[in-house]
Amino acid sequence: MTNHWIDLKNSDCIMAIGCNPAENHPISFKWIEAAVDRGAKLISVDPRYTRTASKANIYASIRPGTDIAFLGGLINYALTKDLIHKEYVRDYTNASFIVNEGFNFKEGMFDHWDDREKAYDVKAWTYSADDSGKALRDGTLKHPRCVFQLLKKHYSRYDVDTVVKVTGTNKFDYLRVAETFCGTGQPGKVGTILYAMGITQSTHGVQNVRAVAMLQMLLGNMGIAGGGVNALRGESNVQGSTDYGLLFHTLPGYLPSPEYKDETLETAIARYFPKTKESKSTNWWQNGGKYMVSLLKAWWGENATAENDFCYNYLPRRNGNHSYLQIIKKMIEGKLEGLVCMGMNPAVGGPDSLRAREGLGNLKWLVTADLWETETSIFWKRPGANPKDIRTEVFMLPAAASMEKEGSISNSGRWTQWRYTAVEPLGNAKSDLWILDQFHHHIKNLYKKESGIFPDPIVKLAWNYGTGHEPDVHKVAKEINGYFTRDTEIVDKDKTLEFKKGDQVPSFVQLQDDGSTVSGCWIYSGSYTSKGNMMARRDPNDLPNGLGMYPGWAWSWPVNRRILYNRASVDKTGKPFDPKRPVIAWNASEKKWEGDVPDGGAPPVEDEKGVYPFIMVPEGVGRLFALTMKDGPFPEHYEPIESPMKNPLSKVQSNPCAEVGTNVTCDLNRFPCIGTTYRMTEHWQAGAMTRSLPWLVELVPDMFVEISQALANEKDIRNGDRVTVVTERGSIEGFALVTFRMQPFVVNGVSIEQVGMPWHFGYAGLATGDSANVLTSGAQSPSSSIPEFKAFLCNIFKGGKGA
Amino acid sequence: MTAMQKVVSEIRSFHLFLRILIVLVTAGLFAAIARFAFGLGATTNLNDVYPWGLWISFDVVTSVPLAAGAFVLGAIVHCFNIKKLEPLVRPAIVTGFLGYSLVCLGLLLDLGQPHRGWHVFAYPNLHSPMFEVALCVMSYTTVALLEFLAPVFEKFGFHLPLRFLRTLELPLIVLGAAIATLHQSTIGTFFLIAVDKLHNLWYNPILPLLFWISAVFTGMCIIIIEAVMVHRYLDQPDETDLLATLTRIIPWFLGIYLVLKIFALFYLSERPLFDRPVLTTLFAIEMIAGIIIPFIMFLHKRIRTDGVLQLRAAGLVVMFGLVLNRFNVSMFGMIQENQQIYYPSVIESIVTIGIIAAHILFFAVIARYFPIFEHHSEDANNAIEDGFHSTHEQVVPEKI
Amino acid sequence: MSTERDLSNQRTFLIDLTKCTGCRACQVACKQWNQMEAEKTSFFEGEGYQNPATLSEYTLTTIQFKDYFHEGKNEFSFYKAMCMHCNDPACVSVCPVSAFIKTPEGPVIYDTKRCIGCRFCMIACPFGIPRYQWSKALPLVVKCNGCYSRVKEGLKPACAKACPTAIEYGGRQEMIDEAKRRLAVNPGRYMNRIYGLEEAGGTSVLYLSAVPFDDIGFRNVTRRPLPSRTWAALRFVPTAFITMGGSLAFISWLTHRKEKIRREKEMKEVERASQKGDRS
Ligand SMILES: Nc1nc2c(c(=O)[nH]1)N[C@H]1C(S)=C(S)[C@@H](COP(=O)(O)OP(=O)(O)OC[C@H]3O[C@@H](n4cnc5c(=O)[nH]c(N)nc54)[C@H](O)[C@@H]3O)O[C@H]1N2
Ligand SMILES: Nc1nc2c(c(=O)[nH]1)N[C@H]1C(S)=C(S)[C@@H](COP(=O)(O)OP(=O)(O)OC[C@H]3O[C@@H](n4cnc5c(=O)[nH]c(N)nc54)[C@H](O)[C@@H]3O)O[C@H]1N2
Ligand code: SF4
Ligand code: SF4
Ligand code: SF4
Ligand code: SF4
Ligand code: SF4
Ligand SMILES: [Mo]
Repeated sequence: MTNHWIDLKNSDCIMAIGCNPAENHPISFKWIEAAVDRGAKLISVDPRYTRTASKANIYASIRPGTDIAFLGGLINYALTKDLIHKEYVRDYTNASFIVNEGFNFKEGMFDHWDDREKAYDVKAWTYSADDSGKALRDGTLKHPRCVFQLLKKHYSRYDVDTVVKVTGTNKFDYLRVAETFCGTGQPGKVGTILYAMGITQSTHGVQNVRAVAMLQMLLGNMGIAGGGVNALRGESNVQGSTDYGLLFHTLPGYLPSPEYKDETLETAIARYFPKTKESKSTNWWQNGGKYMVSLLKAWWGENATAENDFCYNYLPRRNGNHSYLQIIKKMIEGKLEGLVCMGMNPAVGGPDSLRAREGLGNLKWLVTADLWETETSIFWKRPGANPKDIRTEVFMLPAAASMEKEGSISNSGRWTQWRYTAVEPLGNAKSDLWILDQFHHHIKNLYKKESGIFPDPIVKLAWNYGTGHEPDVHKVAKEINGYFTRDTEIVDKDKTLEFKKGDQVPSFVQLQDDGSTVSGCWIYSGSYTSKGNMMARRDPNDLPNGLGMYPGWAWSWPVNRRILYNRASVDKTGKPFDPKRPVIAWNASEKKWEGDVPDGGAPPVEDEKGVYPFIMVPEGVGRLFALTMKDGPFPEHYEPIESPMKNPLSKVQSNPCAEVGTNVTCDLNRFPCIGTTYRMTEHWQAGAMTRSLPWLVELVPDMFVEISQALANEKDIRNGDRVTVVTERGSIEGFALVTFRMQPFVVNGVSIEQVGMPWHFGYAGLATGDSANVLTSGAQSPSSSIPEFKAFLCNIFKGGKGA
Repeated sequence: MTAMQKVVSEIRSFHLFLRILIVLVTAGLFAAIARFAFGLGATTNLNDVYPWGLWISFDVVTSVPLAAGAFVLGAIVHCFNIKKLEPLVRPAIVTGFLGYSLVCLGLLLDLGQPHRGWHVFAYPNLHSPMFEVALCVMSYTTVALLEFLAPVFEKFGFHLPLRFLRTLELPLIVLGAAIATLHQSTIGTFFLIAVDKLHNLWYNPILPLLFWISAVFTGMCIIIIEAVMVHRYLDQPDETDLLATLTRIIPWFLGIYLVLKIFALFYLSERPLFDRPVLTTLFAIEMIAGIIIPFIMFLHKRIRTDGVLQLRAAGLVVMFGLVLNRFNVSMFGMIQENQQIYYPSVIESIVTIGIIAAHILFFAVIARYFPIFEHHSEDANNAIEDGFHSTHEQVVPEKI
Repeated sequence: MSTERDLSNQRTFLIDLTKCTGCRACQVACKQWNQMEAEKTSFFEGEGYQNPATLSEYTLTTIQFKDYFHEGKNEFSFYKAMCMHCNDPACVSVCPVSAFIKTPEGPVIYDTKRCIGCRFCMIACPFGIPRYQWSKALPLVVKCNGCYSRVKEGLKPACAKACPTAIEYGGRQEMIDEAKRRLAVNPGRYMNRIYGLEEAGGTSVLYLSAVPFDDIGFRNVTRRPLPSRTWAALRFVPTAFITMGGSLAFISWLTHRKEKIRREKEMKEVERASQKGDRS
């Protein structure tokens, strides 16, 4: 989230597209309702009429996988109806930038496509620059090669009639959405977009999100209270885990994990943290080097010195994609010896799970650290498997649940809240910290004893978390915040600050690249300072602006900023665009900002020392035209890999960069229906945590499949009948739930039925049922490697699998 | 001959009908045991939609007015001093006593916590019709018992308690009548709480009054039926002309009832009235067959004085005027539209049949062994006259 | 049963169904706080994701789902069924052993130690709330007790506490005012009715809805407090007793007096007759 949960109450229009907050983020509805009470409009854009839709002022149905068409249509509507926030677009986005000749778009493809690599040459798309290398601009936005004109041209194809032909949305509903949401373009009006898996789980998921961001920039809704691009994160601490480098291509704090070619620290820093030519751009990433070094110091402590590049070469340097699906693929191919599933249940959660389950059998050993016995940990006795044929040795480590251990948890709004142990772990369950600590000791000792090819990265690890039975979680948190390794003086503008060896760093501003500072995750510096544990704060007082930021409650990264890009909420002189909702405001007399922690302390743009609002990109302004997107600078509609129709917008059927994966098909004779998967309030994810709780099982005891009245009649299915759903990957059984909430889509004049189902079921636990992921395919997005869980082709029959 | 054998041979000597009754009663007994062993849920068709079923509707709501003969006749004979009806009093008292004992049994069967029955007196709730009825039924049963003891003492010739009872007789009758009035009507009050549940055809504020009146004329009809029956089957003298006196009183009550009912229907009831065909039909049967027709019949001297026709008229009143009415109020009229239908389970039915059988059986047995059909005024000396193998010589109490 | 009591401070639920997302946190929180057994369910029982079908001996509150199509629009509605905690509760008035009590705080609670299991409360409740332990050999009644043990301690009921959006809990007058405020500021959003304001003489659970209450399973209930109906009759009990007893006693005194006089007359005649006989 660029904003945060409570901020939803400040909005005038909330568009929930590809998410179902009423069911999957119930508490968020407290704030959505607060906005609605103020007269805000709630829009739900979803293929199904959900519990969120039931509360919405406007519900627009959409065919799975067509959000770019939907959002592109809104962009076009805003541009043609002239509803955009002009000042904002001109000054705070790259609309005025002139794009070089390298960029072109023809028949669904951008230029510089390499058909062998199945990839674009991204570097070919740049701004035209003057000799100094400064990008050329046209403030009038008239120049035919300026981003604004290119944007207009690109989305001119997305007229309402074309759009609804693609998305199957009722035109009247679509127009209501367009009017209502684009209406937030005028200053003093603000709209927010909530999204989640309906947007991301697609072969063009990242472009979906881009489209959301572009629309918000055009309407001037970024950085504003009640606005923003708000991803409703998933797993309770998934925000934290991504912040800490969960993904294969990032290190903690979204530092890039080096690739094979990044041979030295210096070259890596040079490549990933470029300098900017823009005088007014903060280009915060130019400090990346300091964060990288502080991280290396955190990992290898004393051993990391300037001389040895701070142990940079201890870092694994990747080549290629090492995301979830690639790991599973390796496993299936028998190229993986062992697997540790710590709080993960791939036998249910991953796509094409029949293969994944078989793959687990190719492992020598499997470790699961979990609260429950999961489908993964008992894969060897799953229905249809013969334990005798499975050689894998399985270790189940009982893990302590969140309420059984102390630590921090980060929510979607980037608030890190400290939690205490409420109850002691059951039986001999242990915290993940304890488990990892044990791994560390044993592996370290093994390497010490038996050395091996390259023991140093392990043997030389710094591990200063006390000597107790359990590592001291406060020591961990302090290291993450960072501290000084020696007495240091830092000159900050006019004054010099003195720090002693061992002092906590006040914030990442003080982090250094000379080894004098340590920080485990730079964006979290400031969370545990000499003032103490900021994450444990519980001051219930709001700011005078009454926007619900509660700066004294917990702590949010970065530097306790509650709304990101908040410099974009004020005009060039520092006056809030929306005086009713002043996130920050420049106090000219005292020469300081008031309100939220500003995005960099520099004065407003107009001031000679002033800077642009978007401090994380070299340009300093928001990117309507993206320079580094693998699959194109502008989001373009492509069909899902398994689609019921030809792409009406171009000859290119689906995202050319996408990894299609195996056994997918578009054979409408065998698979005439669209299949989609989703969650429901009553169950959690792969189900381990809820399918064994009788009170929740009582509510939703069985796997079921939602279909429309029409489809039911056609297939002679009655509510409550057993049915079988089939795809190219496999088939599952469930109860049929025939409901008005499912309606066929009329696309290109033909009516296409959809089959919806929760993916929560499996063969372990109290309530068991077939897993929807038996049906889903491994097609994935090129940029995020997320699987296309939301759109595939299937068929449905009356009767169980026997039938 | 051991006592056991005595009993057996005694039973062998019973009329076949009686022996069938014995079987039914034993069946009911076992059913009742089952109910306590396995609980209400398992043995009855009661559920959250039908918390009350056959047992409440028949064993309580219907049985109580059926047992009303005692107090009605008692009042007529002793208070209004219409002596010639006296021969009917004792049989009536016996049925009353039996009726009420069985009502108590029925109530206990229906309670989820029968062992807590006494709580009613420990934690009384004056606002609860149920409390009032419980109280009345208990005390009335005691009264009925005392009244019933008379023939018993006579049989065994306990003269002192007998005299004592005799002196009490009148007060008891009065007390009984008063108490009966209360609970007969309060059973109607039960259903005043069921607003929005009991259909408008039956729901009206004077329901309790109507219950009382119907109890009264039913009481008398029961006596008629009883008398005719015992005349036929227990070869007792024909009382037709005695009964004629009753049949002259009945139409009055029927008439008043009819008037009040119509008045309530048109001035006190909510609308709609005739929206549900089935209920309308039930209502029609109840009113026409159960009230109007008998009313007309009783108006005719010929019918009033003809045993058979008396019986028919009275039968109608009891079967439709009362039984149907009570079921309409406590069961059929409470069924909401498109709601599942309740029907009693086997066990419920067996128990109820058993209770009815027990009633008849005990009456017959008592009639057989106790002096309930001897006619003589209170001052008669029964000690000698009692036909039964009676007590040793006695001091004859001198005449008043 | 006096309704003149000041109810303005009775703890009261305001359940705004236009804000209810059907998340059923309330339903689960209720089971957890009251440690109620889970029911064995299969698929769904009713519309939408309904489970269990209704209140029962194991379930004190349910969300009643309605899933229908109306004027070309979907309706997916959720109604939290629970005890209404009537101001003047029928269950309290009919219970022969006063097992039900209307607490001064508002909740209507039930004393398992008193109940004799007559089920009159179930007949009496206009909202059909009390349920019976049909599964037990010695069954008791089961019903939402308004989390009295929490309310006594100044806490919200478990369901109100768990609810993210729809349930306000506070003094009755305060809740009524809030409900009226919402109806006033947002007339388009609501049916212009507060269910529970007058139903059964007023309850401590109030509902607001966007769709007609009858469409989503609410009962149409009389406005007049139910106990007043029975009380209207029970009031006469003492009078009836005395008049009946009294009049009968009087009548019999009259009739027996007549009788006595008649007898004495007869006696005299007999004597006279015999005297005559002596002479001759
Ligand atoms: N109760 C509960 N809450 C949860 C979870 C849970 O398992 N249970 N999981 C958590 C996790 S990990 C996550 S990631 C989040 C996910 O939160 P959500 O993204 O809200 O969850 P989903 O139900 O997967 O998808 C949301 C909606 O997207 C719709 N949809 C499907 N395809 C499309 C499409 O092409 N376009 C659009 N616009 N919509 C589409 C689906 O119908 C669904 O209603 O929820 C979190 N919260
Ligand atoms: N078809 C389909 N598939 C999907 C999705 C979809 O929308 N459709 N959604 C995808 C998404 S968004 C996600 S996030 C994934 C999730 O996929 P998974 O992460 O594999 O599924 P979870 O059930 O969330 O697994 C979390 C496990 O962690 C355990 N756990 C809980 N707390 C702790 C703890 O403190 N320590 C440890 N060690 N374990 C703990 C739980 O018991 C549970 O078994 O599923 C993906 N799969
Ligand atoms: S489950 Fe937890 S995180 Fe998700 S909405 Fe509920 S309270 Fe928030
Ligand atoms: S709703 Fe029913 S159970 Fe609840 S208080 Fe009112 S009458 Fe009693
Ligand atoms: S069942 Fe229990 S609580 Fe209900 S009325 Fe009878 S005694 Fe009272
Ligand atoms: S008040 Fe308490 S008992 Fe009643 S429904 Fe809510 S949680 Fe359950
Ligand atoms: S908790 Fe609140 S929102 Fe959720 S179902 Fe219950 S009443 Fe509705
Ligand atoms: Mo997720």
